[in-house]
Amino acid sequence: MAVQIVAVLLLSILGVRLYLLQVVRGHHYANIAQNQRIRRLPITAPRGIIFDRNGHPLVDSRPIYNVILSREDVRGKELSSLVQPLSEGLGLDADILRDRFEEIKSLPAFESIPVKLDATPGDIAWVEARELEFPELRIEQQPQRRYPPNGLLAHVLGYVGEISPEQLKQPSYKEKDLKPGDVIGQSGLEQSYDDYLRGRDGYRKVVVDSRGRIQDEIEIVLPQPGQDLISTIDLDLQLAAEEELRNSTTKRGVIVAMDPNNGEVLALASAPTFDPNIFSQRIGTKEGRAEYVALLNDPDKPLINRAIQSRYPPGSTWKIPMSVAGLQQGAITLDHSNLVCGGGITIGNKFTRCMGNHGTPDIRTAITRSCDGYFYRLGLKMGLDGIIAMVDEFDLNRRTGIDLPNEVTSRTPTEFKAILDRRNQNWKDIDTVFASFGQVYEEMTPLNMLRTVAGVGLHGKLYVPHFLKELKPVGESGAPGYRQGRGFQPFDSSRPNPKIVSIPGDINQAVVEGMWGVVNNGGTGAGIRMAGLEIAGKTGTAQVVGLGKDVGKNKDHSWFVSYAPAYKPELSVIGLIENSGFGGHHAAPAVRKIYDVFYRKTRHEEPPGAVPVAKSAKPTRKIPGKPQEAAAIEAH
Amino acid sequence: MSALLEKKSLRDFDWLLAMLAIGIVAFGTVQIRSAQPQEAYWVKQLIGLGIGLIAMILVAVTDYRRLLNIAPAFYIFGLILLALVLIPNVGLKINGQRAWIRVPGIGQFQPSEFVKVTTAMMLAWYFGKHRTQALRVHEMAVGGLILALPCGLILMEPDVGSIITYLPILFVVLFLSAIRLRLVVGGIILAVVMLPAAYWVGVKTNFVKPYQQERINVILDPEKADRRGFGYNTWQSILTIGEGGLLGASTTSEHSQSSLKFLPEPHTDFIFAVAAGNSGFIGCILVLLAYAILLSRLITGARRSPDRPGMLVIMAIVGGLMFQIFINIGMELGLLPVIGVPLPLMSAGLASLIATFIAIGFAISVQLRRFVN
Repeated sequence: MAVQIVAVLLLSILGVRLYLLQVVRGHHYANIAQNQRIRRLPITAPRGIIFDRNGHPLVDSRPIYNVILSREDVRGKELSSLVQPLSEGLGLDADILRDRFEEIKSLPAFESIPVKLDATPGDIAWVEARELEFPELRIEQQPQRRYPPNGLLAHVLGYVGEISPEQLKQPSYKEKDLKPGDVIGQSGLEQSYDDYLRGRDGYRKVVVDSRGRIQDEIEIVLPQPGQDLISTIDLDLQLAAEEELRNSTTKRGVIVAMDPNNGEVLALASAPTFDPNIFSQRIGTKEGRAEYVALLNDPDKPLINRAIQSRYPPGSTWKIPMSVAGLQQGAITLDHSNLVCGGGITIGNKFTRCMGNHGTPDIRTAITRSCDGYFYRLGLKMGLDGIIAMVDEFDLNRRTGIDLPNEVTSRTPTEFKAILDRRNQNWKDIDTVFASFGQVYEEMTPLNMLRTVAGVGLHGKLYVPHFLKELKPVGESGAPGYRQGRGFQPFDSSRPNPKIVSIPGDINQAVVEGMWGVVNNGGTGAGIRMAGLEIAGKTGTAQVVGLGKDVGKNKDHSWFVSYAPAYKPELSVIGLIENSGFGGHHAAPAVRKIYDVFYRKTRHEEPPGAVPVAKSAKPTRKIPGKPQEAAAIEAH
Repeated sequence: MSALLEKKSLRDFDWLLAMLAIGIVAFGTVQIRSAQPQEAYWVKQLIGLGIGLIAMILVAVTDYRRLLNIAPAFYIFGLILLALVLIPNVGLKINGQRAWIRVPGIGQFQPSEFVKVTTAMMLAWYFGKHRTQALRVHEMAVGGLILALPCGLILMEPDVGSIITYLPILFVVLFLSAIRLRLVVGGIILAVVMLPAAYWVGVKTNFVKPYQQERINVILDPEKADRRGFGYNTWQSILTIGEGGLLGASTTSEHSQSSLKFLPEPHTDFIFAVAAGNSGFIGCILVLLAYAILLSRLITGARRSPDRPGMLVIMAIVGGLMFQIFINIGMELGLLPVIGVPLPLMSAGLASLIATFIAIGFAISVQLRRFVN
């Protein structure tokens, strides 16, 4: 009897436990059991391709194969025991592998770790042959972004990279349903249009056995490719621009070419440049990281897009908005636009010189010859208020609104006045003089200067510069997953595009004539005169340090801002060569090369007198009143 | 005469007992096939069932008294088998245990399963004589020695799990041989109080090593224990059983816990988990019920035994079976630590299956002769 009681008791214990496990907590365990056999393997969606305006692909993706370590399956195996066989088998640095394994110990156990990116066929064969020995290794295909060689368009295209832990915490990224390991645009157009270029990843739901080997596939959701982007870039102009910068004396500078009629940027080169593939392909390797550190430490700052992230004193290019505003505001009139040059000006006991003696030029001559003395006096007539009004009118203290990230704002007298006010310092007449010739109280981004001058060429229409021509739709209209195409819209939708600066026709005409004269009437840019294409422009020579020290690294920045044809603009181009010297000698010839390419493309013939511009017989040095607006500011 | 015996045998033969055993084996075979669809374990199990049935009938028609009379001979034969296993070229080493003898044609079998029966016979033989007084110390010592000899040999394999299933055989025999009640009660109280206390002291004094504690923790809280290390088997077993729910898991058999090899040893030690996953709570309860009826049928048979040795041998077998069922299912349910003990009649394994049928044959033999003096 006692034995029977014991038997019933023991079996009852088992029955109660069964009830708890199966009936009470059955769903809970069923979920866990399902999760451990079902794996969701992402299929990375290809990113949209970026094309130039003529359909040349600029960036695309190629499939690469990665060796992945699935941690779920490293059961009871010490990760460190894998270091040696993996480093030998896959030719990896054992230290990096060890670091990597150390890092991922903090990650959740279900995360997979890339062991080797861009595996060779040999690596893949090695992994597949050792399926039994290392069942935790897997080969995964992934599209990898491939950027053009030689850093071509690096600052425009930008690059992609894995989303960082910091970005993941930001709400703007969070709401996009991004997860660790996702590759997003981190710079340039890749960043600006990331939401469009990025595809929607798909996945495979598979059943794995206890060692992680795939046994069955239960669901597959195909990835949806990102939208292709047709940019406004003209590859020929871009190549020419980069070539010119590479061949420039200091190899540092900017060339931007823009269609003034709509703001489409045809070329934007910033030198020195860098290889974006470092970020998209190699940043996970020791070598890649070393390359990145080298870029960061490079004194020439190759990562900076000089067109929108560097500010330079505009030098004499500043005289263009000054001229328009001076006439508009009535400081001078078209009938009485003559002001004395005087070889300079004396304010109080300080004499600020002009680099020549231009007599009493009118506004056209003052522009053509770049007479500082004229503009000192014009500035005094306009006064600080007039200059500030001009800054507002031409958006000079605002971003251009280009569709690239991290554009900086130019600094203008408006800002410097505020700084002086804060320091309880008075704005004196001498300060107004300085503010008049683009040397002390202005620091402009090249793109801002280009937009301003191109706008004057269009009688006051200032377009927002941009690279987006069209984002292609994906899928069939109306079908699920359809993504609509679109054209360019300014990111800041409150900004009018174009911004209209109302410039009376005759005033505009006078300034344009002055700019026409710079190149076509023996002005400071006469060296690049082109018979078939009348360029209107303005040279600038921005002083870096005090007068007389302008040698070597401290040489003046050479500017040339222009558009052509002068009376029916088709293309506007700005060039800036850092620390090279006089604007007419360095920037202008580089810009001329861009017009040559443009001329060939649009006129289908050799541009007249194109060939050796630099060796041109035109003796720019002999031009009377050679402007050196990097004029003395001895007092400063 | 023989015809008469046949007729009488047929009438008194415990058909229910035999059918229950066959039913459990059949159910188990289906589970074995589900657990290891690629392997031939289930075919072997059916062969084992055939051999077991023949053995059961042979033992049943033989007079158990004649067998018990030569129990010492069987016992010594069993010890010889256990010793043979230990010889390197005769015994087969699997998972670090040298516990199998290779038999051409069938594969391998495990003598320790058979020796349970011979040990039970030996104990019944020794304690079977009519008694009027409580057990004396030297009797208990001899009983202990009878158990210790096979256990010592099994320990050399080493197979601790099997030894645990031997202990209840002696306990039941002692219990039914008028052991002083105070010894039984005292022993139970001692076990209930002292085991946790000893464990606690062991942990505090670092006598129980962390990895051993880990095994205990697995039982106390399988969900929080090391699910990839020590707790893996228990955890996967619990998942498999839990997934069964009320009526069985909805997963296709190709994606089951055992097919995907999450559940270890699904056809042997963890066969009950496989069955629980396939047939759910209802199926499990029916299996438990089948075991309960089987055991109670055996106990009834023991009660009807015409003599004491017959009763003792059945009850020793019952004790062994009962304990083994509880240890195995308790382990699969995460109530007990993982010990490699097969589930009688369900786990794949010839020796266990045949030995269990021989034991049942014994019980039937006793019953058949209940009216024969």
